[in-house]
Amino acid sequence: MNTPEPAPSDTELRSWLRARVAHYAQLDAAAIDTTATLTTYGLDSVYALILCGDIEDHLGLALEPTVAWDHPTIDALAGHLEETLAQTSPSGESR
Amino acid sequence: MIDSTGSRDAPAAAAIADLERRFGDPWDPGNPTGHAAVLAADEAGEMLAAGERLLDDYGLNAEFVPPELGGRLTRLDHLIEVLRVVFRHDPCLGLGYGASSLIPAVNVWTAGDERQRRRMADVLLAGGRAVSGYHELAHGNDFARAEFSALPGDDGRLRLNGRKEVIANARRAEAMVLFARTSPAPGSRSHSQLFVEKADLPPGAPIHLPRFHSAGMRGVQLGGLEFRDCPVPADAVLGAPGLGVETALRSFQITRTALPAMTAGILETGLEVTARFAEERVLYGRSLAEMPYIRSILADAFTDLLICDCLATVTARSVHLLPGETSLYASAAKYFVATLLMDAMDALSRVLGAQFYLRDGGYGIFQKHLRDLAPAGFGHTARVACLSTVLPQLPRLARKGWLDDTQPPAEAFRLGADLPPLPFERLSVGSGGRDSLSASLTAALGSPELDGELRHLVSVIAAEQADLRRECAALTPVDLSVAARPEALRLAARYAAVLAAVACVNVWLHNRDRHDAFLGEPHWAVAALGRIAERVGRDPGQRSPHITERLSAEVLVRHRDRRGFGLSNRPLQ
Repeated sequence: MNTPEPAPSDTELRSWLRARVAHYAQLDAAAIDTTATLTTYGLDSVYALILCGDIEDHLGLALEPTVAWDHPTIDALAGHLEETLAQTSPSGESR
Repeated sequence: MIDSTGSRDAPAAAAIADLERRFGDPWDPGNPTGHAAVLAADEAGEMLAAGERLLDDYGLNAEFVPPELGGRLTRLDHLIEVLRVVFRHDPCLGLGYGASSLIPAVNVWTAGDERQRRRMADVLLAGGRAVSGYHELAHGNDFARAEFSALPGDDGRLRLNGRKEVIANARRAEAMVLFARTSPAPGSRSHSQLFVEKADLPPGAPIHLPRFHSAGMRGVQLGGLEFRDCPVPADAVLGAPGLGVETALRSFQITRTALPAMTAGILETGLEVTARFAEERVLYGRSLAEMPYIRSILADAFTDLLICDCLATVTARSVHLLPGETSLYASAAKYFVATLLMDAMDALSRVLGAQFYLRDGGYGIFQKHLRDLAPAGFGHTARVACLSTVLPQLPRLARKGWLDDTQPPAEAFRLGADLPPLPFERLSVGSGGRDSLSASLTAALGSPELDGELRHLVSVIAAEQADLRRECAALTPVDLSVAARPEALRLAARYAAVLAAVACVNVWLHNRDRHDAFLGEPHWAVAALGRIAERVGRDPGQRSPHITERLSAEVLVRHRDRRGFGLSNRPLQ
């Protein structure tokens, strides 16, 4: 998968999420607003579940399958995942 | 517990025999719960009153209530067996007295608090009825688009507004579970279920819509509910607000598993009527039952029933044993079992010829059961919606889950074996990329117990499984949504077929100690895997004529001995 050029404020995780959302929405990553809800791009409950699976495999984490229902924007999701990663890794590093 | 017949579930067998005795001989024209009475009620568009009384006396509602609340809902496989007896005799009772209360009840057991669980149990144990209001005609299975709303009023109470349509027992229900929008926000956290008791509603609410008239299940009173600014307490919400979609997707795993499995009772009656007809009817100087063509139809329909039983039973046992994976299995089973049941009844109708079309006479019960079966295809989640639940899970399985050979517990396949309690709280909206049932196909292929013919067929199914993995890995994002191409949905259907084959071969392998000679023979498993291979377009190879002969002979023997045609091979009344 092509990773788009990250915006200066993007973390690696955020830009990965952006690329996944762009993939499912079949849009250019640059067109994806990280503050918009996934439903803005036509990604319904089903895509949110698929995205959760992708995240689990990417980060090696076990998540609630509904994580993207509860954190429905890329920013919210990234924030939640960074927090989860910080709690699970003793050094507090995120990937 | 293993009794002298090798059955591990003697208490359930006793309860089922008791229920059979109460229904009595369906062919006795004077029996108030026999076929003649069932047909008369259907013609009148009414529920069979004597049947409702029978089920009141039996305390059927207790089957829907968990033991800690005073009921008998300990095991899904037992629930299915009991309700299947009801469906065999009268599908209208099965749906109108059974399933329609079960669906809302399971929602409450899955998401309700202590008070709500207690109240639902009290209503049911007192013989009351519950209904679930999910459906709105305009939105079908797209229930996240439901317009029915429950938004806070100025006094802190919620206000119900909108309609729920085509609901069994709408007029007669003491309790209801209503699916409502509780937030205007988009997304999957904007709906909730509400547990509402009729006694708590203001006078005049709800407004009852006129009865809907249906082609089958004609006795079931289908109605509709309309609410206009109807206040209900804020604590009517099941669980926390916003959990509605999640609660539905979790609790439906139980009901999507149970309903088609119970409905298999309809095919059992279909087989019985057809066997009876084939033995009685003489054409060209011989009975139909002696004609190879007729025997092959009987054998195939019987095989399909056994396939349904294997898949449904393994899925039901998996709800207890593998609750994290059942989001996948329940929808696959709902699709496949409903499809097989309808196809098999259709095939049997051709044996009956004109008799399947007549609403009276000795075989009139067949056309009623055939009409009553149709809702299995669209009721409580249409088959295509079930495929749409399975499909988006397949690419991840192809990438990961199907490469993991973690095996399911053998108890998933052992008929009647002990099970842990129903884990309502552990049902999950996704399978987490796990599918241990499918992993058991390769393990089965390695079993030394498979003989040549069965081994060959398992390898045919394994080839199908390998193709599926390759094709599912190549699915594009657009194919995971409602815009999926028919070929993509077909992958989900093929997955369900493979899962059915996995269930069949493992049920055969794991129940050879049951002292059921027929079950221990490989014939039925060979026939089952052959039928499934054909269904997915694979060549099963030439089937030995003795297989068809063995299966059709079994149908006729069970018919003469008054035994059921399912896996359990139980004596009937």
